Amino acid sequence: MSRKVKQSKPHAKPAPHAMDSAALAADAAAALSASRFKEATELFKELVKRERQTAWVDGLAESYAGRAQELAAKGMVKEALMLWRNRAQLCGKPLAQGDYLVWLLRAGERGEMLQFLSDKSLPDAMRLNLEMHLAASILAEPNATPSGLSPDSALLRHLPGARAALEAYCKGDFVALETHLQAIPFRSPYRDLKTVLKALSLLQTDVEGARAAITRLAAGGAFERLAAVVRAAVLPEDGWLAALRDLDENGRQMLLDIKGCPNALRPFLLELAKLGAAPAPAQLFDLLTRFRRVIPEEALSALCLRLFPQMGRSIERLPDFKKLPKETQLHMMALAAEAQGVLGSAEEYWKDLANLLSKIPDQKLRAALVLRHLADIALDNKMDTELNAEAFRYVEKSLELDPDDRSSYLAIIRTLRCENELAKARAFLDRALPRFPKDAGVLLEAVEVALAGKAFKKAVGFAKQVLELDPINPKVRGLIGQALFSHARKQIKARNLAAARKELDASEEWLRSPVEWATLKLLRVFLTEYLDETLLRAAVADLGGSLVGAFRLLLEAGKVGHDPRSLLLSSGCNLTAPPPAEAVVALAQVLNAAPDGAKALGAALGPLRATLKRALKMPFSEADYLLVCEALHRCEDHELLTAFTKEALKRWPGRPVFVYLNVIARHGSDIYFIPYKDQDALDRAAREAHKQGDHRTSSRIRTLLSPPEEDMDDDSFDPFDLPFPEEGSFGSAMEGFLGELSEAKGESLGGALEEFLNDPRKMFEMLVAMQGEKAFLEIMRKEFGKQEFDELKRQCGGNQKDLIRMLVDAMVEGAEMEMPAPVNRPGPRKPKSPAPKNQKDLF
Amino acid sequence: MSNPYRILDVPTTADDETIRAAYLSLIRDCPPERDRKRFERVRTAFEAVSTARGRLAHALFDKTAPTPEDVLAEVVAAFQPRPVDDKHLRRVLGAK
Repeated sequence: MSRKVKQSKPHAKPAPHAMDSAALAADAAAALSASRFKEATELFKELVKRERQTAWVDGLAESYAGRAQELAAKGMVKEALMLWRNRAQLCGKPLAQGDYLVWLLRAGERGEMLQFLSDKSLPDAMRLNLEMHLAASILAEPNATPSGLSPDSALLRHLPGARAALEAYCKGDFVALETHLQAIPFRSPYRDLKTVLKALSLLQTDVEGARAAITRLAAGGAFERLAAVVRAAVLPEDGWLAALRDLDENGRQMLLDIKGCPNALRPFLLELAKLGAAPAPAQLFDLLTRFRRVIPEEALSALCLRLFPQMGRSIERLPDFKKLPKETQLHMMALAAEAQGVLGSAEEYWKDLANLLSKIPDQKLRAALVLRHLADIALDNKMDTELNAEAFRYVEKSLELDPDDRSSYLAIIRTLRCENELAKARAFLDRALPRFPKDAGVLLEAVEVALAGKAFKKAVGFAKQVLELDPINPKVRGLIGQALFSHARKQIKARNLAAARKELDASEEWLRSPVEWATLKLLRVFLTEYLDETLLRAAVADLGGSLVGAFRLLLEAGKVGHDPRSLLLSSGCNLTAPPPAEAVVALAQVLNAAPDGAKALGAALGPLRATLKRALKMPFSEADYLLVCEALHRCEDHELLTAFTKEALKRWPGRPVFVYLNVIARHGSDIYFIPYKDQDALDRAAREAHKQGDHRTSSRIRTLLSPPEEDMDDDSFDPFDLPFPEEGSFGSAMEGFLGELSEAKGESLGGALEEFLNDPRKMFEMLVAMQGEKAFLEIMRKEFGKQEFDELKRQCGGNQKDLIRMLVDAMVEGAEMEMPAPVNRPGPRKPKSPAPKNQKDLF
Repeated sequence: MSNPYRILDVPTTADDETIRAAYLSLIRDCPPERDRKRFERVRTAFEAVSTARGRLAHALFDKTAPTPEDVLAEVVAAFQPRPVDDKHLRRVLGAK
């Protein structure tokens, strides 16, 4: 029969008296090293009881000292004194050591302190320290005569001078103060008081001096409480408010005295300090409200106005809010809405405010600023240099109220120029130029508007004005230089070589960069009847040689109508050898920087395709490979992009950006033509990109997979067009469609619905025709869900028309139509008058 | 941003010249290589209110809540510097 083995209990530590001395000594030493003074005291006591070994006695003394320090630090001074006396008694250590004397003072046991002072064997340094601590407490009692001191004690001898100095300071008599301070000797127990009073006297006139003085005083001295107040008072800026928290009540009152705080404001300030460095706005508001009667009205008003926007919707319920002028209420509500992120509401409040202010003669500038702020809100992307329609209206209106804002003119002129509304742009320029005749920005816009309107002489005139203000302005030189080149190219293409030469000669004044000079050289090649090969080769070399030079040559050839291949042959470019990676990267940089469109760039790249393909296996870094692929994507060279991205995916398998570019290269960027397998790959790539933190690629793929809905912000809305479905359900789309149908036919909604139910296929086909295939597919995607929709797509092999037919079949055959309940719908409609003339036929 | 007027130590009614002078004086004390944080704070404050338009725009569109130091700066105008009350000073000296 087996027995269960009993689990023994954890071995309990024996009591000290039961341990042998060696083990006990080891434990005691460990406790002392670990600052477990209470435990160490007990263990050493037991050891010393057995035998008064020196090491054990010293250990006990040290334990007592450590424990006493701990207790004193917690404010248990009497207990600390008791332990210290035990230390003296049991271990034979002198009492007058460490902080004993300070504790005596703190405990109010002045009698014993004075006994020590009368002991002539007390070391001088200890005597001075003792006297300094006593000095502070003596000075606290202005009229008392301290007893128990020897008549020749420095404490008594220097006391009148110290008292007089304090009195002089409190009266503000700094001349007398200086005299009394001079009379206090260096080794006086009152010497720290000298430093503190000196610093205090400098506070109003020389804060730096006060700071320097108090810094010289070591911390923890006899007058430390006084010094701490001065240290707080000299903190830079408003740091003293936070320092209030670290002082005791007496120190706080003294600090507030120094700062000159009126008594009525003190409770407020003390509560403010307690709130900490970053209180919630509601806490600050509550504090201001509670102390409103003592805070100066102007200050209270300014602070509350700054806090109102932080109070959110509750701002309207604040009793004082309604008493504010209407203008201030709108202002606060606008800011509050912005602070909450409710931009729609904010916009409405700002608009109301702008309207109100625009009617007040001296508030037009503020109204204009509000309108410009509305323009900022209206801009989707604040980095846009062109204004959208809404922002444009706001900025235009703001100029009526404040015609002197340069940035507004520039934004408007730039927008009009980019929209090719040159007459309007010129009208605004005519208003801006007299106001800003010497402004390079405005003049630069004038150059661009003139160039856009083909007023070249005017452009040159403005350009010269810009250069007078800013001689090295590269942009204006570039603009004029390029304009002259553009004219020259047109002349070359038209074989007007003399005219072309004139343009090129005129361009010399404006050129700066080596590429511009090289382009000039190349264009001059086209001026000669017979090809000047030397000049051509020199130009191509200047344009970057081999690949880059060849590309630039081909680009120019395309612009001037010259045969690119024959030029390439004479150019001296070696395009048969595989180009080094650096040359391909340099070409990519040129492609990315070129202002030309994809068509021109693609045409110029064509003859270089074979050369570039030879570079596929070159040792590119991933970043350089990406640069090249993005450049090819920009040029829409799908052949090269396919080749490069295929190679990239061999080297860096699954890299999301290359997956994306490879799919685009093979299928284009219309989701409906991307096979399901590639959509899957894109989906995986998007998730991987997101995981890697490549949010740009993730976003590009998401946009490709889920193209955004069409922009409905269209001013040309035709009320007889069927509305786009609202976001979400098929049901709401049908509701809209049936509603329009019923109105057009002069029927009730029920009538339109009945017609639908009788021939749903006809109605669905009509829905597709009216709303467009893309919109219909988007509705169906939401209706079926992505998974089911994608499955149907796969069944159709990606063919859009087949997919639509399949979806209509599915809807007609089985899907139950969800018609939203007619909530809050008006009663049956009255028969309509005949439809307007320009209404489209619906059937 | 904390109150830019407080940072520049100018009243809210200060004009362009006063603000510019205050700014130049402050950045002399805290050039960027010595105290970058403070320099940037002063620079940001200056850019916000250096022109009349800027000051109006700041008053209209600033949404930042005041800090305790901003509150202090508003009420400190009521302070009148004076020597310490004898009673308070002696209490500090005699505190146990």
